[in-house]
Amino acid sequence: MSIRAGALRGVFGAPVSRYDQASAMWLLAPMLGVLLVVAVFPVLYSFWISLFDLRLTRPHRVPFVWFENYQEIFQDELFWQSVWRTTSFTLICVAAIMVIALAMALLLNEEFRGRRFLSAMLLVPWAIPYVANGLMWKWIYDSGYGALNGLLFQLDFIDKYMVWLGDQHKTLWLIANAFIWKEVPLATILVLVGLKSIPADLYSAARVDGANTWRRFVHITLPALRPSFMLVVIYETMMAIRHFDLFFILTEGGPAEASHVLAWHVYVETFRKLSFGTGSALAYIMALVTFFLAFWLIRTLGRKL
Amino acid sequence: MFFSSIIFLVYVLAPVAWLLSSSFQGEAEITSRPPHWIPHQPTLENFEAIFQAREKKVTYETRRAGDPATGGYIPSTARNLIPSMWNSLVVAVAVVILNLVVGVPAAYAMAKIRFIGRSTSIYFMLTTRVIPDIALVVPFFLFIRTFGLLDHLGSLVITYLAITVPFSIFILVSYFESLPDELDKAARVDGCSRLQTLTRVYVPLAMPALVAVVLFTFLSSWNEFLLALMFTQTPASQTMPIVVASFASDFTISFAFINAAGVLAVIPPVLMAIIFERYIVSGLTAGAVKG
Repeated sequence: MSIRAGALRGVFGAPVSRYDQASAMWLLAPMLGVLLVVAVFPVLYSFWISLFDLRLTRPHRVPFVWFENYQEIFQDELFWQSVWRTTSFTLICVAAIMVIALAMALLLNEEFRGRRFLSAMLLVPWAIPYVANGLMWKWIYDSGYGALNGLLFQLDFIDKYMVWLGDQHKTLWLIANAFIWKEVPLATILVLVGLKSIPADLYSAARVDGANTWRRFVHITLPALRPSFMLVVIYETMMAIRHFDLFFILTEGGPAEASHVLAWHVYVETFRKLSFGTGSALAYIMALVTFFLAFWLIRTLGRKL
Repeated sequence: MFFSSIIFLVYVLAPVAWLLSSSFQGEAEITSRPPHWIPHQPTLENFEAIFQAREKKVTYETRRAGDPATGGYIPSTARNLIPSMWNSLVVAVAVVILNLVVGVPAAYAMAKIRFIGRSTSIYFMLTTRVIPDIALVVPFFLFIRTFGLLDHLGSLVITYLAITVPFSIFILVSYFESLPDELDKAARVDGCSRLQTLTRVYVPLAMPALVAVVLFTFLSSWNEFLLALMFTQTPASQTMPIVVASFASDFTISFAFINAAGVLAVIPPVLMAIIFERYIVSGLTAGAVKG
């Protein structure tokens, strides 16, 4: 392609000045460089590693095994169990976050004294590091002296102290609760922005037409919140699927694999069994699943919600 | 309204209040049943232990003597907490600076300049944003080991760029887009180069977005756990979350002490969030709505 001065053509045929093209490239260069090194290269490299039987326990023999790592993963029952646990964890979290965030956003959308204070306090869980969040809940759930037992006991809901995180039927729910508590603020802010963008005359018009509060909520508020809900669902789904910190701090995948989720599975394969080949393959599967899930959610929710 | 506000506040603050309250309780009080919601004999010994741990050594004698810095159920690793917070700070500041250096020019180019490859670069960034951090762990680990950067703060700075740069650019692009194009044209007519237009016209106007970027990047580096867990091994490079997590997984350590460590870990980010609330909300919405 021969380029004459000032005659580069953009995608839509509008001329692009040569100076603009050059300066844009210079301005973008640092970002492109950084992202190539810290994002593109690792993703490609990770795929390459996943084709080798690389074990740090046996660093001098690294045979190329094609897709055997993937085969091995799909035959592992623990993998499918962890997929199932991650799925339930994600569904519980996203559903609860949506409901709580909607309730909180509706409250913050009203005008009343102290509203500013509430919205400032809302940022507390958001800002807390996940590690601190994890140990805070670990202490609350503590079976010996924790607040949950203390509170339920004092309110007479239970007649003796109970085991919480150590009970495999409760673990996943309790971890989900810690996750929800931390993620709700962000979701609330996103929903609140949606609420603020609804024009007030829609409500007054509906009131003139005799629609009661409930009908106004169902026919005006909920449909108008569609984009915010979509955003919350997509973002929180991504966060819940990949979540690792709370599982590490609270249970380390236990008791008896009751909280052995996908992210934990990757960690165990890679850094406990030191099998970098299968670890990479697993991480790669996870990355692909999240990627296509995000894509699919954007397409279907974008249309239906 | 009043009633729902109370429920709201209890839900949001009660867990933190309990953490705070139990960090001021001594070993004897924290193990009471039912728990003391408000400490009956508030004590600073847990915090003292953290701040004095550097000078004192844990020995059998000091433990017996009940010295707050070394006695009781205080781990010998307590002395690592303050240095680890310093490590976290160094990493976070470096990541913030690099984010600005890399992000501001790129965001300006994407928002204001018409060039071939503009939409490609935007899609490229979108894609990098959905990569889960756990997928980066193995390649980074091997990469960092090859360069001898394991257990070095530099490795954290590099890897944190992967999780912060795309989001920073999102916030900045959407803010630059909301500023009028005419400014750009006027500056160019007055003879400014692209770089001068950016530094003299847009950067001063984009202060709110810049503050948001600084905050987000700082907080995500300060709070990051997974990558730090993989790439740090000794106190020389361990960041705050790693040291705090190591307390939490040790059954012999008193929760009174762990909670004090938790409170210290929570104070800086929470203070920042509350002081800069306005910027956070606008930044979150801009960055998220775009994404």
